[in-house]
Parts: sequence; structure tokens; C-alpha cells
Amino acid sequence: MPVKLKICGLKRREDAEYLNEFQPDFAGFVFAGAKRKIDFETAKMLRETLDLKIKTVGVFVNEDIGFIRRLADEHVIDFVQLHGDEDNGYIERLKAVCDLPIIKAQRIASREDIKPYDADYYLFDTKRTGEYGGTGESFDWSVLSDIEKPFFLAGGINLDNLDGALKIATEKNAFALDISSGVETDGFKDKNKIQETVRRVRIMSNSASTDPNSKGRFGIHGGQYVPETLMNAVNELEEAYNYYKNDPEFNQELDRLMREYAGRPSLLYYAEKMTKDLGGAKIYLKREDLNHTGAHKINNVLGQVLLAKKMGKTRVIAETGAGQHGVATATVAALMDMECEVYMGAIDCERQALNVYRMKLLGAKVHPVESGTRVLKDAVNETMREWTNRVSDTHYVLGSVMGPHPFPTIVRDFQSVISREARAQILKKEGKLPAAVIACVGGGSNSMGMFYHFIPDEGVRLIGCEAAGKGIDTDKHAATIAKGKLGIFHGMKSYFCQNEYGQIDEVYSISAGLDYPGIGPEHANLKDTGRAEYVPITDDEAVDAFEYLSRTEGIIPAIESSHAVAYAMKIARDFSPDDSIIICLSGRGDKDVAAIARYRGVDIYE
Amino acid sequence: MSRIASLKGKKCFVSFLTGGDPNLDKTYDYILDMAEAGADLIEIGVPFSDPIAEGTVIQEANIRALSVGTTTDGIFDCVEKVRKKTDVPLVLLTYANPVYTYGKDRFFGKCEEVGIDGVIVPDVPFEEKAEFSEEAKAHNIDIISMIAPTSDERITKIASEAQGFLYIVSSMGVTGVREKITTDVKSIVEKAKASTNIPVFVGFGISTPEQVQEYTSYADGAIVGSAIVKIIAKNGENASEELKKYVSEMKAGTR
Repeated sequence: MPVKLKICGLKRREDAEYLNEFQPDFAGFVFAGAKRKIDFETAKMLRETLDLKIKTVGVFVNEDIGFIRRLADEHVIDFVQLHGDEDNGYIERLKAVCDLPIIKAQRIASREDIKPYDADYYLFDTKRTGEYGGTGESFDWSVLSDIEKPFFLAGGINLDNLDGALKIATEKNAFALDISSGVETDGFKDKNKIQETVRRVRIMSNSASTDPNSKGRFGIHGGQYVPETLMNAVNELEEAYNYYKNDPEFNQELDRLMREYAGRPSLLYYAEKMTKDLGGAKIYLKREDLNHTGAHKINNVLGQVLLAKKMGKTRVIAETGAGQHGVATATVAALMDMECEVYMGAIDCERQALNVYRMKLLGAKVHPVESGTRVLKDAVNETMREWTNRVSDTHYVLGSVMGPHPFPTIVRDFQSVISREARAQILKKEGKLPAAVIACVGGGSNSMGMFYHFIPDEGVRLIGCEAAGKGIDTDKHAATIAKGKLGIFHGMKSYFCQNEYGQIDEVYSISAGLDYPGIGPEHANLKDTGRAEYVPITDDEAVDAFEYLSRTEGIIPAIESSHAVAYAMKIARDFSPDDSIIICLSGRGDKDVAAIARYRGVDIYE
Repeated sequence: MSRIASLKGKKCFVSFLTGGDPNLDKTYDYILDMAEAGADLIEIGVPFSDPIAEGTVIQEANIRALSVGTTTDGIFDCVEKVRKKTDVPLVLLTYANPVYTYGKDRFFGKCEEVGIDGVIVPDVPFEEKAEFSEEAKAHNIDIISMIAPTSDERITKIASEAQGFLYIVSSMGVTGVREKITTDVKSIVEKAKASTNIPVFVGFGISTPEQVQEYTSYADGAIVGSAIVKIIAKNGENASEELKKYVSEMKAGTR
């Protein structure tokens, strides 16, 4: 695992802006001492300024638990760092009211100083600061062997001793480096020092032999494998996105569209009948099917088309599988007066004829793709080809957390609203985090959105359900994690279903939306690091779940989402009734009714 | 001096065909035919299921080649035989995944062993070239860089680190014959030449001797793919005569 980086002691808005630019993993807010102490309001402002990707750590010395709880409840901090004389009793009282991961700091000089605490992480600081490395009097790092918890390494780390600290951190399997004064000049955070520190940590700690020029990596996955013709387009997009994601006007406009046009926030529905019937964990459904256009796809499309508009583009193109992303793109293009062309595999056009007509109704031009296997993968090929043909006035609204950087990040950020809402909603309803969240995975956009804000909550299982079609032991499936191999395709390094010569497989699923031979690079990394688990669900299981949810709760789920419902049905009983599970109901199933009828032998066409 | 470097100072005609279309025996014949007719460098496409930089003509050639069971190993065997007959520089054109999945070191090692001089991977841009550069270098294979009409300020950095020859993409979009090329190719070539001494070739959309003449008035060569693949598509196993005639007419455009 690459060593992570925490920059501690933010005080000013520009400190947060520096971090947004260079993207360390954690930002520390100090609520004690004198030099870097900040108050609640300042911390709130800093959190609002910081990218969501950067997790915030509140640093406390013997603090009143009520204050920590307030910071946690208002989502100002994601981690709690206890730097005083807090004992296990204190930690127990804190845990009773606050679910955040806890870091217990310990000042040590020898092995005997290391005490066991009921914390999630430790942080080791030198007993006397400023004597880390290079001083000839340095801390004896050998005492850090076999630490049973992940730990942060702190204490006087600066650019002069950074390389040595990184080497030790890697050898001792440290979780993260913690730097504060080492990136300051005259008592203030220094942009250049932060940049250089992040750069060196990333290079040194990334075991993959990837080019430092390469951008958008999730572990070894991701990157920008596109023809030269598109490089300026993806660079321009990245630049525009980095600007607008922090632009208050853009965010207000997007927020308004999400609320008033898409109908957010979406409900977190307690499926009581299903819960009773299955007899285990409480089942909650995150109702993305209730969004305008009937699926989560609108979250991303609103963000991207608004961004394209700001970039001065007048035309959008998109690929679509089931047609949900195409419909969402056609919808938003109509709303925002953009020309719209959608590429859809010829086979999918047939399977989802109603959606083809919907797109046309919304003013879009639909191109049935006859090349290759005539499904989603080929639609992506054709949209990329069209983009190389015409980039100056055209934005490619990629529909999933895949493709070349910056798409996986942009789509993830726009979809992360799902878990941002769901996390707050479940805490309000249950007073604690769920035991698991479950979502279906094709390219992986609804699942990435559903996982994202739960990633730091290590107690929450993240489960992605892949399409196993007629079974992963047949050649009719789309189970990329179960059966795929590492490769480079559609702009990214990730896992792909392919043969021994790297030819991309024809994949199969009853669900046109999961019928894709790859998976987004961030998922591939979540798989590598073990943070998320991925399971195959067959057509039969998904169809059963489709019918079960319709019958039991009066909710017809999309056949894609039915894969997630099916897995929840399998595992609900493994949990206690005190636990909860959230299923991302990514779309509604109206579009699938005729296909399911045919699957059951009833000859209905739309 | 490598075979590609020996082209320096010469006006070149570069021809492309898809390996295995209509089959590898004919690929062997057609490469030798084109070399005999005057092609100065020959690009061999390793067929891929999803060639995103190709227009319909070459896409279909890829499908034909794969449908008769063409594999990367088959292409290497074919090149090994060709190399016994000719010294013409040979370059493979393929995509990142076939190289990556074959195994980077194994792929470039095999290239060296059978006598390939360079490899073009259209979906690996400048920023990602470290993906293959180490293994290619270890086996003395040039990775060919491409410059597109949109490259602008990227031209200098791409050209200054380029190896073998530099591939200037004349038009937006994918490969294929074009009626008219509107890009200011000349200024791109001039900008590129200011940063490199290796040969600079222009490709995409070229099909006539007149176009070859025009481009080779300022560039070092012209690359033709789709027009040749069309001849093979039309004539199948009997394309030799038409290919030789076409290539010698096109080569005449360089003089």
C-alpha cells in the first residue's frame, strides 16, 4: 500500500486551496494549543473549501466530547485524533456518541512507551519534536516493528529528511506520514513545500513503475491511454473541472438543478416488509430510481453538461448501454440547449427500443452502432472515434467511472452525492453506520457513488455485484473482477474480460447496463486493496430479485439494480437485526418489464 | 545504424496492411510485393478487437484477420519469414492491450528476435509512454510517437523525445481515405522538424500520388493505409498485381 500523507495544522482558506491543488490524503485541524488552534467556524469553512476526497482529521487534547460530537455530526471532521492523556475510558465514551475512526497519538522514545488503546489507528510522535532524522540524535525507529494497528508517523518531518522518513515508513508499513511545520515558512503553510512534499511522497511510495507524468492513477490503475488527438481535449477538461469544482457559482447552480430538476435528495427507504421476510439486517433502499429520468445517471449528466456549457461547448455526445445514460444526456441537453448525439449498440437498441424512442423524443440523434459486438463496449469505441473527429465544440459525456483521466474522477465526484446523502440519512435513522452497502457494477458509476463516502468507514462492507449472466463458468457473463485480467483499454489500466492475446471478450448479461467487459479504475484499486468486495450474480438470481422486490415492496427495480437486491437477499440473514444494509436502487425497472416478460416466456414487445 | 535510421535523407513511401487479412500466408506475399514495388517502410497492423483509432476500412480488416484466427504469435512467425527475404524496415501497429497482455518484455523481445524495427501504439500518448519505453529500449525497438492536428504546444516536447520516425496525423478523426485534408500540415511538420532530426512522415487520409508529392515536398514521407487495405479487401488472395502497381505509382509521387 502506498504511504498516505496528512498535512496538519490548516488555518487559512488558502491552506485548504493548496491542498485541493496537490491532493494529500488527509488535512488536520488542530483544536488545541496556541500556534495552530482554530475554532468551529474556521474548521467548517476549511471543510467546505476542501475537496471531499481529502479527509479531515480533528486533533484534540483532552477535549470535551460534546464538542467532538458536534464537529462529527456536522461532517466537519472525518477522523478524530486524540493527542492528550485520553485513556480507554475516554475512548469508550467518545465511541458511544461518535462513529468516526479514532487515531490515538503516542509520544514515544522506546518500545515501552507504546501502549495499547482501543483506537483504530496510532500516531507516533517523537518525545521531543524536531529531532526526527538527520540530527544524529534521532528516534530509534526499530521499536516500530510489528505494530498491530495502522499508524501515522509524525515528528519534525520536513523536506530535508522526507526521503529517509518515507523509506522508514515503507519498511515499517506505516499507514501515513504526518507533516505540519515541515511544510511551513514563517509559521504559514507554504504552497511550494506542500507541492514538493506531495510529489515526493507519491513517487517514493507508489510501488508501480508508472510514469510520474501519468495522471489519474488509483494505485496502478487509471491513466490516460488515448490517441494523441484527444490529449488536449482531456487536458482542457481536467483544467476546467479543477476550476469549476471549486467555483461557488457552479456549485450553487448544480445544487439547484440537483434539487429542483432531478428531485434530490433521493429517499432512503426502510424496506420493512423485505426486512421481516428475509429475517436479518434492516434493509434500506437508496431510491435513485426516483430521480428524474429514473436512474442515478442524471447526477453525473447534470454535472458534466453544466461543465461543458461553462467550457463553451455547444454539442454533447454520449455512449449508452441500457439507454439510461443516453436518456439522461438527451434530457439535460434539451434543458440546456445543447445539440446531442447518442451512440448505442445495435443489439441494445433492439433490447431497449423504448429508450431509443425517448431519446429521439427529447431531440437527440441516436446512432445504432453496427461495429464489433454491437453492444456497450462498441458504443464507447464509436463515441471515442466521433470525439477524435470533432473536439473543439463537442464534449463527450462519459457515463461511468471509466475511460481516461479525468473521467473516472469527475463521474465519481458527481455520483458521490449518493453516499453523501445516504451516510447522513442512515446516521439520522439508525444512529450508526450500516454494516454493508451494496450496489451493482458494470463500469461502476452507481456503486462508486454509493461507496465513496463510506470508504473511510472501515467497518462498513462495500459490496459490488457484477453480472454473472448464465454463470461465471460459462462464456456468457460480464464478471470483470471474477474473471478479468489486468489490461489497458478504453483509456484506462484496469481489469478486463479478454483472451490470452488481449482481444477484448464479447460479454453477456441480461442487463444491457452491466454488459461491459471492463470496470472503472478506482474499483480495480478498491479490489486490489481489499477495501471493497465484488460478487457475481446470475441472470436468474437478478430476475428473481426483480420480481421479489416488485411483489414485496411494490417497487419495480431496474434489472441492473436487481443484481444488488439479489445479493442482499442472499446475505441479509447473516446479520443481526441491529445491523442495517443499504442497497443502491440505481434505477427503476419500467424499461425492463417487456424483457423480463420474454425471459419468463411471455411474448410482449414494447 | 538501425533500418529506420537508414531512411534519413530519403523521401519515403510508407505502406500499411493489416496482418492476417485475408490470411497470414498472403500477408507474407503482400509485404514482399510492396517492398519490391518500392515501399520504403512497411507497417503491419496486429489485429485488435477494438481498434479505436481506425475508420471502418481498417476496422473491417481487423475483423477479417481475427475471424481467420490470426494471433500475435502468428504475426511474429510471418515477420520472421519476411525478414529472411528483405531488409525493408518493418513496424508493427497495434494497441496497448495486445502488447500489455502478451507481456511487455516478451512482446518487445519477440519483436527484436524476428526483426521488427519499431512499434506504433496509437492509444499510448506522450504522458503514458513510460508504460512500454523501458522494455522497448532493452530490446532496441523504437516506439513511434504521433502528433495530431490538435497537438499545438505539445509538438515540441513530443518531437524532441521521439524515436525512429515521427508520425504526423494529417486530420482529425480516425484513419480512412479523405477527399480533402484541411489541416495546415506544413506548419506542423516544420514545427516538429525544428525539434528532431529523425524522419517525419505524414499519414491519415492519403490515397493519391499527388498527395504523396505534396506532402513529401516538405515532409520526409507519406503513409498510406486504408487505400491499400481496400485493395486487399477487394481482391482477397489475388491482390498482388494491383498492390504492386498501386505502390509503384505512389512511390513515384515521392520523386
